[in-house]
Amino acid sequence: MNARELIARRAAQELKDGQLVNLGFGMPTQASNYLPEGVHLMFHGENGVIGVGPRPAPSQAQADITNAGSEPVTLVPGAAIMDLCTSLGAMRSGLLDVTILGALEVDQHGNIANWAAKREGKWWPGMGGAMELCYGTRVCIATLMHADKKGNSKILKNCTLPLTGRGCVKTIITDKAVFQVGDGHLILKEHAPGVTLEEITALTDADFVVADDFHEMTF
Amino acid sequence: MSKLSNKVMTIDEALSCLPQSGARMLMGGFVGASEPTCCINWLIEHGIRDITLITNEPGLSGFGRAKLYEQGLVREIISSHVGTTEESTLKYLEGSLKVEQYFPMGTLAEKVRAGAMGLGGVLVPVGVGILDQPGLFPDLEQPKQVLNVNGMDCFVEPAIRAPFSIIKAWRADTMGNLEFRYTGLNCNAIYGMAGDYTVAEVEEIVPVGAIPPERVGCPGPFINAVVQGLSLEEHNELYRQHWLKIGKLKAEDEEVRA
Repeated sequence: MNARELIARRAAQELKDGQLVNLGFGMPTQASNYLPEGVHLMFHGENGVIGVGPRPAPSQAQADITNAGSEPVTLVPGAAIMDLCTSLGAMRSGLLDVTILGALEVDQHGNIANWAAKREGKWWPGMGGAMELCYGTRVCIATLMHADKKGNSKILKNCTLPLTGRGCVKTIITDKAVFQVGDGHLILKEHAPGVTLEEITALTDADFVVADDFHEMTF
Repeated sequence: MSKLSNKVMTIDEALSCLPQSGARMLMGGFVGASEPTCCINWLIEHGIRDITLITNEPGLSGFGRAKLYEQGLVREIISSHVGTTEESTLKYLEGSLKVEQYFPMGTLAEKVRAGAMGLGGVLVPVGVGILDQPGLFPDLEQPKQVLNVNGMDCFVEPAIRAPFSIIKAWRADTMGNLEFRYTGLNCNAIYGMAGDYTVAEVEEIVPVGAIPPERVGCPGPFINAVVQGLSLEEHNELYRQHWLKIGKLKAEDEEVRA
């Protein structure tokens, strides 16, 4: 199992039957491939739909039945179409139960940064609907690689990039560990198979305590 | 022309009132879906330049709006994002496409809705304490204003309207009543209502009375011109070929489900 698949599989375990869910692109979307048995969800797309279904056969695909990434989808029974004011308004007002988001950085205060990095002196590329998700969704789960390619931690004391949401992240899932966000510190709950506490400590900038029931991720 | 008269015309007739340079316009669509493709092609053919484009996000590389950036026709984009197309990213990073600030997608939608509905603006709590931090948007003439209402800190977000709006709908009657189809609705209806002069590009034009009144997503009096774009079947075929090419549709799915 590669690191991205591990994160997607572990994130899928956070989803509960009957939830209204928005998944970010990349690893979060992959999580829908690994839902536990008996977990049935409704997926929201910020382009204005509740009830996004799987990919259609080519002859069934339609130019105006798409997800937020402009990919062809189907609509499940019970689906609803809405305009962007309603779609983003539903996100702001707390209608969604859970979101899984990719992140550039997270920190021990539950802050997440995922919409901007500096390129040639300019902030890029923009937040789309990510700030509404962080603002309103009951449970925000951040997924990311624990460290960058140079080994610098992305699990920080304080985010350095512009934030997407403040204090909204409840759970952080990386290729090395699972943390809960506590009161100004993180709580280390799980380690990935073969990853030691020493390794996690070395790769984590944030302050954290080790949970009493600290254990290996199970799949 | 009366708000109730026949508004069907050619794209030439509908868009010839645009200034050659400096038009401020709203444009519907969502990441390449449900864009006014034929009108965009007209803008390119006629070299309509220095456009200030108010749009949900830039679009999809290779499609509709992306061609406007590629041709260097857009001076400024007012949007929630600049990176959904390579074309917009390139122009932004080289300095020829201005982004003064980004708006969260729902904030932008509400600003335009407020403009459409005759409001002065909206109060939005999203991003307070984040988007008003020093250094993030250094070119803003005035800092973002914050009001506390009902115990909630909100940005005062002024309404947005524009002299021109170009949108896409499924079908229109000759009076300009518009019906939208599935996620093709996105921001098209709201954006259409916020233009002083709005052109609706549609897949099909039908007689008055053909669209059930409760299915009208944008009332005809908001619309100034109705133009025929690609048909629904042409759009479906265009996107199917694109999706097959990039692997978002799989030919083998057909056999499994046949």
